[in-house]
Order: sequence, then C-alpha cells, then structure tokens
Amino acid sequence: MNYDYIIVGAGIGGLSASLNLAFNKKKVLILEKNSLPGGLVTTIKRGRFEFDASLYDLMDYGSEEHVGSLQRLFKKFNLDIDVLPIPYNIRIKSLDDKFDEVIKGDIDDWILRLEELYSGSMSTFRSLLPVLKEIDEALNALKKGKKNALKDFPNFTKYLDKNAYDALVDLNLPTETIHVLGYLWIEIGSPLNKLSFIDFAEFMYKYIFKRPVALSNKNIDFILKLAKRFQELDGKIYYRSCVSEIKDLGEMQEVILKDGTSYKAKEVICDLSERYVFKNLIKKDYPFVNQKENARTLSMNGLVVYLGLNKSYQDLKLYNYRYYEFQNLNSAANMKSMKEFYHHTIEAIVPNIVNEKASPKNTTILVLKTLYNDVLWNKINASNYYQIKNDLANGLIEEFESTFNIDIKEYIEEMVVATPFTFERFTNNINGSFFGPMRLGYDNSIHRFISYEEERIPHLSFVGSSSLFGSGVDNAFYSGYYITEKLLEDERRND
Amino acid sequence: METVDKIEKMAKERKEIIESFSRKKPENTYIDEYVEGLSSIYHTIITDIKEETKDVKTFTLQADKTSSTPSLAPFNAGQYITIHVNIDDVPTTRAYSLSSDPDLASKGIYKITIKRVPNGLVSNYMLDEMHVGDKLDVSAPAGDFGYNPIRDEENVIAIAGGSGITPFMSLAYAILDGIYDCNLTVFYSVRTYDDIIFKDEIEEINKKKKKVKFVITLTREEKDNYLHGHLTKEMIEPFIKEFNTVLMCGPKELYRSMNEILNEFNIPRKSVHYENFFVEYIPEEKTTYKLKVVMKDKVEEITCKNDETLLVAMERAGIKAPSLCRVGECGYCRSILLEGKVKMIGASLKKAETENDYIHPCVSFPDSDIILKLDI
Repeated sequence: MNYDYIIVGAGIGGLSASLNLAFNKKKVLILEKNSLPGGLVTTIKRGRFEFDASLYDLMDYGSEEHVGSLQRLFKKFNLDIDVLPIPYNIRIKSLDDKFDEVIKGDIDDWILRLEELYSGSMSTFRSLLPVLKEIDEALNALKKGKKNALKDFPNFTKYLDKNAYDALVDLNLPTETIHVLGYLWIEIGSPLNKLSFIDFAEFMYKYIFKRPVALSNKNIDFILKLAKRFQELDGKIYYRSCVSEIKDLGEMQEVILKDGTSYKAKEVICDLSERYVFKNLIKKDYPFVNQKENARTLSMNGLVVYLGLNKSYQDLKLYNYRYYEFQNLNSAANMKSMKEFYHHTIEAIVPNIVNEKASPKNTTILVLKTLYNDVLWNKINASNYYQIKNDLANGLIEEFESTFNIDIKEYIEEMVVATPFTFERFTNNINGSFFGPMRLGYDNSIHRFISYEEERIPHLSFVGSSSLFGSGVDNAFYSGYYITEKLLEDERRND
Repeated sequence: METVDKIEKMAKERKEIIESFSRKKPENTYIDEYVEGLSSIYHTIITDIKEETKDVKTFTLQADKTSSTPSLAPFNAGQYITIHVNIDDVPTTRAYSLSSDPDLASKGIYKITIKRVPNGLVSNYMLDEMHVGDKLDVSAPAGDFGYNPIRDEENVIAIAGGSGITPFMSLAYAILDGIYDCNLTVFYSVRTYDDIIFKDEIEEINKKKKKVKFVITLTREEKDNYLHGHLTKEMIEPFIKEFNTVLMCGPKELYRSMNEILNEFNIPRKSVHYENFFVEYIPEEKTTYKLKVVMKDKVEEITCKNDETLLVAMERAGIKAPSLCRVGECGYCRSILLEGKVKMIGASLKKAETENDYIHPCVSFPDSDIILKLDI
C-alpha cells in the first residue's frame, strides 16, 4: 500500500504535520523509533513522580482575548487541551552584575521597576511594544505570501538586517535594560548580538501579548491526545520503527526501516534535522546541503536534572516559578562562561507554582538545567561517564542551592539526570543540542524563511525544532502546519 | 521596492556564505560519534560458568571482539541487562540484574547470575543448554535501581531475598572499588546454607572488614555463625544510623514485612527503594482465554492461560512481540488493549498511558478474552 505522505518521527513537528495532512484527507503514515510519540516532549516516571522532559511553557497559545497561533490550530483540529495561565514570577540573578530581581505581577510592574533601576527604561520600552507588534504583523503577511504588503511595515524593513542588540540600542533602550529584558535569549539559544531582531521581536511579541500557558496534564497526555486525534482522522502510526534509509525512486519515495520493511509515499517529511537525515538516511550526495550544514554553528547542549522533592514548595521556600542564574547579563559575555563545566548559567523551573497537580501532595518537582557551549564532552568515555554525569549533576544542584540560598539535597526522593548523550540517543538531535542549528547571522529563522523555496529538495521536507522556525514547541508545531500547507498548495497547483 | 530588495540581498548573502563552505558531508561531533557507537544489542561470548548452588549459575559474558560490538556499555550497580535467546525457534528475552563489578564492563565483561525457576523456560535453557564458548546477545544495561550518591545517605542497608542478592554483589564491588563512598550492610535472607549464592565472594569481602558487610540469615536451617529465621527489627537495629538509605530486592512478601520494620525505625519514604524483581501472580482458578493480536498487516488468534503473561503467550505462539525488561518498568513492550481486562502486576505506567488504554504485556495476565493491538 502506498501513502500520500510518510512522516519520519512523531515529535511535535511530525505530529502537527500529520494532523494537518490527515485533516485534509491525505493518507499519512508516521514512523517513530520509540514506543511512544512526542520526542523530547515526553514524561519520565520515577516512583510517585512524573517528570515532564521539556514542555513547561507553551508559547504562542495566549488567552481567550489574545488568541495565539497554537490555540487557533488546536481549535481547527478539534483538539481539547487543558491549559493553565502562567503568571510572571521569575527570579533573575547575575553574578558579575550583582543583579537579583524578581519579575512578578504584571508587565507594567516590571517596567516600573526597570525604570527605577535604569532611568529611561519606561518610555523606550513603551515605544518598543508597537514595533514588536508591527514586526509580528509583517511576518504574518510574509508567511501568507503577501510580499507587497510589507511596505506598510516600515520598522520591519528598517530592522530586517539588524541583530537584536543593535536594534534595541537604536531604539534607545538603556544598555542595562537591554540585557535584563533580553534574558529570554537563553530560551532561544542565541546571544542578542547574533540573533536577528526580527526573530527576537517575534519571540518577545508572543511572550508579552500571547502569554505562554502550562499544560494542566503531563507532556505525554498532550502528546497522546495529538496522536489519538491523528488516528481518528485515519492516520497510522507505527512505533519501534526506526528508519534506516530514504530512497528517491523518482515517482515515489521509499522509506526503509532497520528491520528491512519498506513503505512508499509521494512525499516524505522528516521531523529530524537536515544534518541527521542527509548524513544517515540518504545515500545520494547533495553538495549544497553539505555546505549549508558545514556553514552552520551547533547550538548549546546541556545537562538537565529532574528532582522529585518530598516537601511542598512552600516548605522548601521555592517561591518562584522560574529561576535564572547568569554569570553575566550580557548574553555575549555569558556565552563565553559556558565554555567550561561551570554551572553559572542555570534555568530552574518549579511547575508546582503554576500547577498544583504537578506532583503528589506535599511534594515538589524542581527541574534544573544548565547549558554548555563547547567541546567539553570530549573527555567522556565509557569508564568515566557515570562519574562525570554524577559530578556535574551534583555541581548544578549545589550551585543552585548556594546562589538562591535554598536547601534541596536532603529532600531528594527521586532524580533523573539527562546529558547530551541521553538527548541525542533519544531524539537524534545533533550533538545532543536543545536548539537545533544556532539561529545566528545569516541563519536566523527569518533568513531560513526567505530562502526556503530556493533551498527546497523535491519530495523531502523538514519540520520540527531543527527546521525553519527554530526550536520551541510553538515553532516546531507551527513548522509542521506551515510546511504541510505549502505542500498542499503545491498539490492543488499541480492538479 | 526597498523591502523586497533587502530580502533579495539577504538571500544572496546567505547563499554566498553557504557556498564558501566545504561540499563534503559534515563530520560527526564527539557526542554524535559516541552515541552512534552505543548499541541497543551487544554480542557476547560466554567465557565462564560458575555453579553457585545446585540451582544457580553465574555466567561470565565477554564482548565478542570479532562482532560489531567489540566493547560493552558501562553500567551502574543495580542495573539489569536483557538476554535474547532462541528456544525451539521461538525468540524470547529475560532480564537479569548484573552481578559483576561495574569496573569490569570497561574490560568488556558482564556477569549475570541465574536461578532455576521450576518450569522456567529461559532459566532451564540457560542452566542446561548453554556452555562456555556459546554466543549470547544482550541488550544495553538499563534500570534505575541502585545507589545514588546525590540522593542517598552514607549508611546503606540492603535487604536481599534469595536471588535478589545479585544487584547487591555488584554494588558491593562498586563500593570496594571506590566508585561510591558509603557503608553498605547487606541483609541476605536465604532458605538454607546450601542456597547461599556467592558464598566464597561474600566470605572474602567480610574478611576484609571494609565498607561492606554481609549478614546472612537462614530461614529454614540453623547453623553456627549464621542468623536464623526471617529478618527482624533486632537483627537490623545495630546497623541503623541517624540517616539511612534502604535498598530492597526480593519477593513482594519480603517488602511487606520489611516495611513494617522500617516504619519502626522512622525511615522516611524517600530513603527506601525497591527493585521490581519478580512478577508473581497466582490466579484463584486456572483457566485459558482467547487472545487476539492485531498486528500491522495481520491478525492472529491464540490462547493465553491466566497464569501466564500476554507476552509469554505471544512468544509461545511464535509472535515476535517486543520486550526488554519484562518487569513492567521500561515500557518498551507497551501496547494498546482494545478489548478485555487484564491484571497488571507492578507495571510502571504513566497516568496518561492508563487513560489511553496502554498496557505492558510483559506483566499483564488475562482476566477475560483479550484483543491487543501490537504494531509489529
């Protein structure tokens, strides 16, 4: 039996692509190597704790008033996903800057505080907001193929080739304010002086106006809902089906599994990085693809420690939803400190603050994450792997404890430690990285988008966090939707 | 138009940058290379078989240097491997805790210790049919039972019942090697003197008087120098410190009786960890049900006794059902129960899995006729 589309990988991008295709009555088969869908969006069970591996803040969802793209797409596909609002409740600490502040309440409270700290923040921030909105609108026009409409968005044109730092300086924000406001670079994985202002503005617009939400249930519950809906639309998923080769047969594409079984379809969509697919699954050589991958910079990888603590967050004095520790608020300077196995860049999440059901009564989940940006892992070998992994996890926990003056260790009931090796093994992400190829200079999302048509390979598309729109569940989901819309358009054109 | 010009210029610049780079396939990073070298299956050769007791043997497995996996993955004391065997042309698997020194893994050596189970398909095959020089495929070490130096206390009390001693032998070596800095007392409950597994090794370790001590109690025999009877509060009390971590491996009734004792010592829940070691279920009345297996391209109807798991029934019928840990923990076998009822013993299912009708066939006993969806 032949399919219209074969999707390799049931990650967020793969599931969203499949949903849209099945919704449009296409015959779709998903091949997934693991025994559950979701990729990095999954749940790990240990004792009485269920740890969500990655998805804590679902971006671009919004509220009833300010509907984000994801909310709109979920509605379109008839997906009923329970979500909870995420209030601003973030503590940021920077060692070099001796900075220690809590963002709480409303965005306006935060701006007032910034004005107190750095005079001139308020007025410039207020005038930044319409610029963010304008850029988001311009991007929407561009995604709809309306290039002519861009003349209505002069700020889009003005900042199209500027990096985030330069643009914010141009918009007169005080330097300190830029660094403080820009702390979210850590969620995108690129320093402000390399990140396109367009990419940054889109992120900030969504973050401020289409507030992220938390899932009421676990990652895997969300994922199984997506998979179930896809199956209701007559889609098929085969698990434990690891693809070993994709062959271009001209009329048809053949996808061959490790066990030798093969399936055929008109189009193949990979929820994997281009680099992985062209290296491991496709024998034919594409010199331009090789050049593209050689030109790219690998983004950071890191260590994540999931902790199940046997006390309530109140008892533990974990009062903030998120904690950030930086060596330096300046993202470019901070990146340099990530070249060692220090743990001076930490992101911590306490899901119980926004979701009482995150763990059993009188327990708390704490997720600690640190990022590394170099070839640090070369000293790992089979005989020291567990030792190093343990030392790093311990270092991360102790750094968090001392920076925020919170005792953690004696309350650990369950813990899981994931290294880049763990992530790569599970998801095939190159170098075990979280963000796919780094968005920088000529290879920001806006650049990938502009050159998308020209760089396309016939009958082979890419979705997910290593693709067009970059990392993040919202971008991965949207990539699946956007790219299948393009493919469906092609089909209609050819009919 | 300014915007369109700018867009075209950006695309051109991007192309120029890309084209200035090498046309060769990109190199693997160190991590890519390492992960590619990890295998889910390792090919080994049995290089030694030691008779521990009349129904227990320890198999030394050495990486097959001529195979695609000339070395073995590292492991943590307490982890298990799954062996893959073909018995009468039916492929099946069993998980066994590694009983060897974790340090030996880097030299390409794993050891597993297998006890004969009455009517046990794989244990009897291993004990009777496997010889030195035979090849054996095993899966990568897995499982999260064991000592965790960040989570756990320095005083570790291990409770072992019968063949549940195996992971603690590995842990004992890890501590003696200096991998972990803790004191370990292993309470080993076993029927008779002749049933003691690792007798020589235990004596050797106890003689050293280092950080590891074994205390053996014989439940069905009285003998000099050995405790007698089931484990009691009095036996354990001298070894309890202010903060303790308790690790248990053995049959369920051992866990039940031990929990009562541990409560008296006020050991918090967070400090007690169990290995899911045995999948035991004895139905009140034996019967046989129909089991319909819906696969990718076919449907097969077989039978399943209510004292055997769905996985065993499928293997018996020659269906190549996926399996790894066989104690409900790893989730590799997870499948969807389309119709019927099962009794699942000790499966570690996430809430959302239960809500979506997932079961782990490796620990599921039928309680009615069953229809199971299995995508093979």
